[in-house]
Order: sequence, then structure tokens, then C-alpha cells
Amino acid sequence: MDLMKSIAIAASGLRAQAGRMQVISENIANADSTATQPGGDPYRRKIVTFQSEMDRALGARLVALGTVRPDASDFQVKSEPGHPAADANGNVKYPNVNPLIEMADFRDAQRSYSANVNVINATRAMIARTLDILKS
Amino acid sequence: MPISDIPIFSMLRTKLQWHQERQRLLAENVANAETPEFKPSDLAPPTFEAPASGVAPVTLRRTSPAHLAGADGTRDFASRAAHDFEVVPTGNGVSLEDEMMKVAGNQMDFQAATAIYTRGLGLIKTAIGR
Repeated sequence: MDLMKSIAIAASGLRAQAGRMQVISENIANADSTATQPGGDPYRRKIVTFQSEMDRALGARLVALGTVRPDASDFQVKSEPGHPAADANGNVKYPNVNPLIEMADFRDAQRSYSANVNVINATRAMIARTLDILKS
Repeated sequence: MPISDIPIFSMLRTKLQWHQERQRLLAENVANAETPEFKPSDLAPPTFEAPASGVAPVTLRRTSPAHLAGADGTRDFASRAAHDFEVVPTGNGVSLEDEMMKVAGNQMDFQAATAIYTRGLGLIKTAIGR
């Protein structure tokens, strides 16, 4: 049934957005994770990518998470000579995570998630109406 | 004569199929709202001339079970690129608000068609005296 396809497509959107939220929360949780050895690299921010893929069995373009790539931007450097991860000059590298950007990204994911839920609800109502024809 | 051959029912069936197909496209648009370079699509509204032209649609036949299944015999509707509200720097042209509006409209029209279908069935029941 074609309406079931709509639900499957929206469900793929839900999965992709949920995966994105997982990566975002990983970034936020590790916003202060420094290296354990002196001069080492801290946690590097991750970026999700989306790609549209054709599902042949379903005959529809589903969405899927692509590879999760590291953010190549520079780390923040703070001067904390007493820190265990400080290098010879007393500088400590902190992750390149900006909580503000992560929160904005999270809201965006939330919005897309609700939109997909909305599509599922609308499709469900349509299926229910079709079944109502039988009841008349 | 099967009940689906009565003109009002076959017309409503075409309309229901159209809305079903449109819902699939709209679901694709919403699911791919973050995919780079994705352009939303929509169904072209059904025209009176197309079904009335009298040309039978050409369908593919599977001559071997090993072949990939093509479109099942249902009537296909033409899809077209939707009008882009805005295109973000990643090349994605989906506007969630716009899609939500279309989904709600599609749902309402579908429900209207099923309501008319129900009335049509009621009419036939009256005719046979139930």
C-alpha cells in the first residue's frame, strides 16, 4: 500500500534526525574533554552528513545518515600551566565545540523530527479514513 | 459490473490514488529536509484532458520472474519540481512550513474524497433497499 510507503519514508527521516541528535549530544557532552597526556589533542567535534538514497524495494527516496566526519577547525587554546594536559608553554587545547552552535543544531534536528512525526500522523489519519469506508 | 466501474467511484478512486501518491512525495520532501542538493518535488494536479484523451497507458510486463519489478499497473501521475520557496547554501530547497501546509491540505482533500465515497455507497444501499 502506498500510504505505508509514506510512513516508511517519514520513519527514515526520524531515524536520521535521531542519529543526528545522538552526535550533537556527544559533542555537547564532550565540550570540555581535554587530552590525558601533556600536549595531546582533545575531543574533536563531529559533523553529521545526510544523503538521499533510493530504496529499490520501496521505490522511494529515503534519507540516511552519511559518514560522521570530524570537524577540521582549530582547537581553542587556553593558558593553564597547572593542567595535566598542558604542553611545555602551559597551553591546554580544548575541543572545537561551541555549545551555542550545538544548541542551534539541536533545535533544527528537533524541528525536522516533529515535521516527520506530523507526516506520520497525517498519513495515519488518511489510512483510518480509508478504513472508515468499510464501516459505513 | 463491479462497483469500482461506476463512474463516481472510479473518479474518486483516481483522486484517492493521486492524494496517496502526493503524500509519498511530500513525505520524501520532509524526510530529506536536510539533505544537501535535494530539490523538493510535487505532483502535477490531475487534468480533465489527460484521462479523457482515450489513450491507454503503456505498462511494462514482466516476462521473467528474475526481472526487477517495475511500476505496478496503477496509473502514474506526473511529478514536477515544486516551486522553491528558499534554497539554503547547501543547495536544499525544502521549506518545512510549506511542506506541512501541503501535507495538511492533502489530508483534508483525501478525507473529503473518502467522505464522498461513503455517501456514494450509502446511495447504492438506498437503491437496493437496505
